[in-house]
Amino acid sequence: MNDLTDASIQALQLLLSGDAQVWKIISVSFTVSLKAIFIATVPAIAVAFVLAYYAFPGRRFVITLFNTALAIPAVVVGLTMYLLLSRSGPFGDLHLLFTQEAMIIGQIILAFPMLVAMSHASLQSSDQRAWETAITLGASAFVAAVTVIREVRFGLMAAVIAAFGRIIAEVGSSMVVGGNILNHTRNITTAIALETSKGSFVEGIALGMVLLTLALLLNFFLTAIQGKAEVIHQ
Amino acid sequence: MTSVIKKASLSLKRVCFKRGTRTILDNVDFSVSQGALVLMTGQNGSGKSTLLKITAGLLKPQQVQVSFVPHDGQQGSYPWPRLKKLLRRKVCYLHQHPYLFHGSVYDNVAYGLKRQKMSKQEIEQRVVQALQEYSLESLIHRDCHELSGGEKQRVAIVRSWITRPEIILLDEPFSNMDKESRKKSYALIKQMCQQNITIALTSHDPLIGELSFDQHIHLYQGKITHKSV
Repeated sequence: MNDLTDASIQALQLLLSGDAQVWKIISVSFTVSLKAIFIATVPAIAVAFVLAYYAFPGRRFVITLFNTALAIPAVVVGLTMYLLLSRSGPFGDLHLLFTQEAMIIGQIILAFPMLVAMSHASLQSSDQRAWETAITLGASAFVAAVTVIREVRFGLMAAVIAAFGRIIAEVGSSMVVGGNILNHTRNITTAIALETSKGSFVEGIALGMVLLTLALLLNFFLTAIQGKAEVIHQ
Repeated sequence: MTSVIKKASLSLKRVCFKRGTRTILDNVDFSVSQGALVLMTGQNGSGKSTLLKITAGLLKPQQVQVSFVPHDGQQGSYPWPRLKKLLRRKVCYLHQHPYLFHGSVYDNVAYGLKRQKMSKQEIEQRVVQALQEYSLESLIHRDCHELSGGEKQRVAIVRSWITRPEIILLDEPFSNMDKESRKKSYALIKQMCQQNITIALTSHDPLIGELSFDQHIHLYQGKITHKSV
């Protein structure tokens, strides 16, 4: 217990001292994951909307595929991407392996099914009358879709936050396709894995603290926004 | 009932609608005249709401022939994508329990006007004017979720009216309304008819006699069993 307390205090001191290496790792994590979520969100919500509001052959199959993709381990995504991006792979010429771009692609692949599945659940349970009302008031299909998305924004925001939580905390994909290169592709989770394997718990705990603080802030943010929403039981 | 026969402004013929194996509408002919007030009655499940939704271009029927007067004066079997656009341009449909978007009464009433690409100033002016005209100006900044059922219904009617559709379809507009709210809604509907807007509404309401209808249609198991002008 004392070891844990000491390590935590030292970790806090390390963070507050502005250690360049630690803050670079944090910066890589945030840059990669924010870019990934930013790229994945709009197309994922569009796919979810089509799945919820349009009938087409194979729709149920596509929904099942996305739900199944939720269970894909991050390391499997990393391994598949490694095979695709390595020199002998079909996309080897792009020279993306061990770059932040590769990490972003990996995280997009991880976030996308989660965003689609959760957004689809929100949109599926949305009120059909919202769509019909928008249309009958003269909105185009696109504007009506935006209106419906606005109506279920709290559910969609929860999907985005959950997906962001998943990708910033994943280690498998980033480790395999990023290569854990210091000042380049080393992020919070790969650094924790490395430091723990070396027995250097202080840095690991410091980075873990950052992740937990982030999770806390995200949840405060979500709660604050939902606080403005209608209360069901007063 | 008034005996004035007005020229049909919209006519739907041989409307058929099926859900699975169940026939909801079976070769129904439905026409409304410009500025007319039409009452549609029938039991639950007789196909009233379905007919209104098809007329508003919100539901795709298996079969329909539509003619618009004086828009083109021709009867035609338009392909559904074109037909629904034409219908949506002319007709506004209001649900039995109207859906109000998140936001204020102003946001809701302004919604349709924003789609018409008006200036912010013009929208504001028209919304204020419309709410004043229907004695709802005190609600302008109220959150829609704080409104009573009757207020919601009246705000929704004004929201439909302000977009200036040729036809407004009201699905059970007086359900869940108290006597006072009904009175206000009747006045609102009468006002709209005077402005030459066609209104078709469904109702089980016995007090509906307070409105003077130009046409009465009774639906039974997906067929029109009674029609009077």
